[in-house]
Amino acid sequence: MTISKIAKHVTGALLSVGLISGAAQASDKKDIVFGGSIPLTGVFAFAGVGIHAGITDAVKIINDEGGIEGHKLVYVPEDTAYKVDASVAAFNKITSQHDVNLYYGDSTAFSKTISPEINRLGKMVMTGASFASELDDPEKFPNIFIPGPSYTDMTGILLNHIAKEKPGAKVGLVHSETEFGRDPVEGAKATAKELGLDMNLIISTAPGGVDVSTEVLKIRRARPDYVIFHGYVLAPIPEFMTQARAMGLKTKFMGTFWSTDNSMVSKMGEVADGFLGVMPYNYYYSEQENAPMLDKIRSMRDTYQSNAYMQGFFSTMMMAEGTRNALKAGKELTGANIKAGLQEIKDFDTGGVIGVPVSVKGNSVPVGRVYRYDLSKKQMVPASDWILLD
Amino acid sequence: MRIGTAKENYIADEALFDTNVQRGWMIALIAALIALPFLSGQYAIYLVCLVLINIVSTTGLNILTGFTGLVSLGQAAFMGVGAYIVAIMEIHLGTPFLLNLIVAGFGAALVGIIVGLPSLRVKGLYLAIATIAASVILHFVFANWTSVTGGVSGLSMPPASFFGSELIQPDQVYWMIMPITVIMLFGAANLFRTRIGRAFIAIRDRDISAEVLGIRLLRYKLMSFAISSFYAGVAGGLWAYFFRVITPESFPLLMSIFFLAAIIVGGMGSILGGILGAVFMTMVPEVLKMMVGVLSPIWPDAVAVMSPVRIIVFGALIIFFLIFEPEGLAEIWRKIRRFFHLWPFKT
Repeated sequence: MTISKIAKHVTGALLSVGLISGAAQASDKKDIVFGGSIPLTGVFAFAGVGIHAGITDAVKIINDEGGIEGHKLVYVPEDTAYKVDASVAAFNKITSQHDVNLYYGDSTAFSKTISPEINRLGKMVMTGASFASELDDPEKFPNIFIPGPSYTDMTGILLNHIAKEKPGAKVGLVHSETEFGRDPVEGAKATAKELGLDMNLIISTAPGGVDVSTEVLKIRRARPDYVIFHGYVLAPIPEFMTQARAMGLKTKFMGTFWSTDNSMVSKMGEVADGFLGVMPYNYYYSEQENAPMLDKIRSMRDTYQSNAYMQGFFSTMMMAEGTRNALKAGKELTGANIKAGLQEIKDFDTGGVIGVPVSVKGNSVPVGRVYRYDLSKKQMVPASDWILLD
Repeated sequence: MRIGTAKENYIADEALFDTNVQRGWMIALIAALIALPFLSGQYAIYLVCLVLINIVSTTGLNILTGFTGLVSLGQAAFMGVGAYIVAIMEIHLGTPFLLNLIVAGFGAALVGIIVGLPSLRVKGLYLAIATIAASVILHFVFANWTSVTGGVSGLSMPPASFFGSELIQPDQVYWMIMPITVIMLFGAANLFRTRIGRAFIAIRDRDISAEVLGIRLLRYKLMSFAISSFYAGVAGGLWAYFFRVITPESFPLLMSIFFLAAIIVGGMGSILGGILGAVFMTMVPEVLKMMVGVLSPIWPDAVAVMSPVRIIVFGALIIFFLIFEPEGLAEIWRKIRRFFHLWPFKT
């Protein structure tokens, strides 16, 4: 055996040992736990199931690519039936059984309830299904992350689109009489004023109310060019639009995130044609060049996935990226460090989940696009370019 | 085997506990409740706190529906009144939690009296609808009296404090919730050893006969509403201290149905029934969740797939109990006790 052969063997052996020990080190790295109070049953189950699927797929993709800096990401969900007490119980159960760094909450009420506890524990960041404007305050909610624009920002994106399409337009806002529904009212009024729009009509409806004839008469009297719905999933939006069309109104109707899911809008029937909505993410079927993540989603699931799925998927991507930033900086995984990692995210390429590079501002990602329902295609199609708010 | 309990005077006949065995069990239970925070994790204590709060409210509803025969679907709204009173007093006045809870109880009782006024004219389903209407009005007030209730955003309140220490964690709040629950349960049990309690039962069994016997229906029906709402108000206050965020959506109509289901499943007209019903309704979904959780290591998506099944199983269990033991869990408990009393002879 020549010296060079011996040297090769020795080098090979050393490399093998190095690789094996490296692999052993990687597998020795502590798992990062992503707990979740997920509404798999109850009134919000339509979204919860999608959120769960989105998180599950994103976690699988992250782990298949080597985890977060070698740490395996473990998703631990619990069903909450969209009840605050059950969500808190799930939180207590998961945090007592695992060392949790990331958490997904199912509602604004839960986020507000558990936020002091998360601050006290000091080792995790929470994202969730809520886009409540109140949560978009890093001073008051230092460990919260909103995976998209807040509800105020969503109406801001719609108003920006209106201001471009029809400067000085008359705009109405119809919202449900809930915390969710009332959220963007004041912000929308201020933005409309700033953009020179005339927000001449604000209507609130009782939660679950279906008889909207009185409210439609108010719309007929005010004759707004646009009406934004907020605080609903489906009903009573179709009733509003059907009655308004029957009265011959040319008003354009718009919705915020939870009412712009393609399958939901399709359920509105013919009246949905031309319905506009704001969506922070691409749709499952969106055609975009250079969208490897969107392609992966489509290869993993061959049927349409809802807005909620995209929301769960994007939340996980961002939480993982924030954690990665903290680990890369050699910091301990605390709530403050993960949050700092999230706030470091600048021009992040989501692989097509969102059509433009995104940055975290405050507690949220204020970006979105206006889509219009095309009845002939039975799809929400882009009606604007991506809109980034300051 | 125990063949009977000899009672030699009226005091013995009216005693809450007949035998030394019962007293022994009660002491053991209280000892276990005291030991619990030292032996359990936060999750278990959290669940116990939730059960205790639900027991207080269920017992209140049991006084009204189970003992007086007046059906109410307003219990959650009365809890809401108590919760808001506690939150407002804690935020603006910073008064001691015990005072806040008492005021919450009396505030809810006052509202209960007003809501109970139609009970003299209407009964059964009609009264249930009247209480639903009251519940809707109260929710409207919670959501729209923004200057006081914070509107739809609700109120976030500071934690209770006891001699300067804040009660934040479940194992801390437990020391507020547990003794109050025990006191309120003893209060309810004792209520039915008094003229007032017996008047309630007489009204439930036949209100016209009760009136013939000299029981003033309006007074006692309103008193039952007041006591029931007092319990709900205190439970709401405890709920507020436990979660520290109160919104109008915290006390939905579904919650009232939960309490009604608890007394039906547990056993109407029995203090033990209310306790068992509240334990059943709170814990069975959690136990079913744990069973689903056991499957997770071998079936990763078990949580998503089995969650709807879990809800069906929970509903089926309620129907099962209603069919096979219409007198509730309390009756099952009595049968078990009888079996052991008479064992080894035929039961």
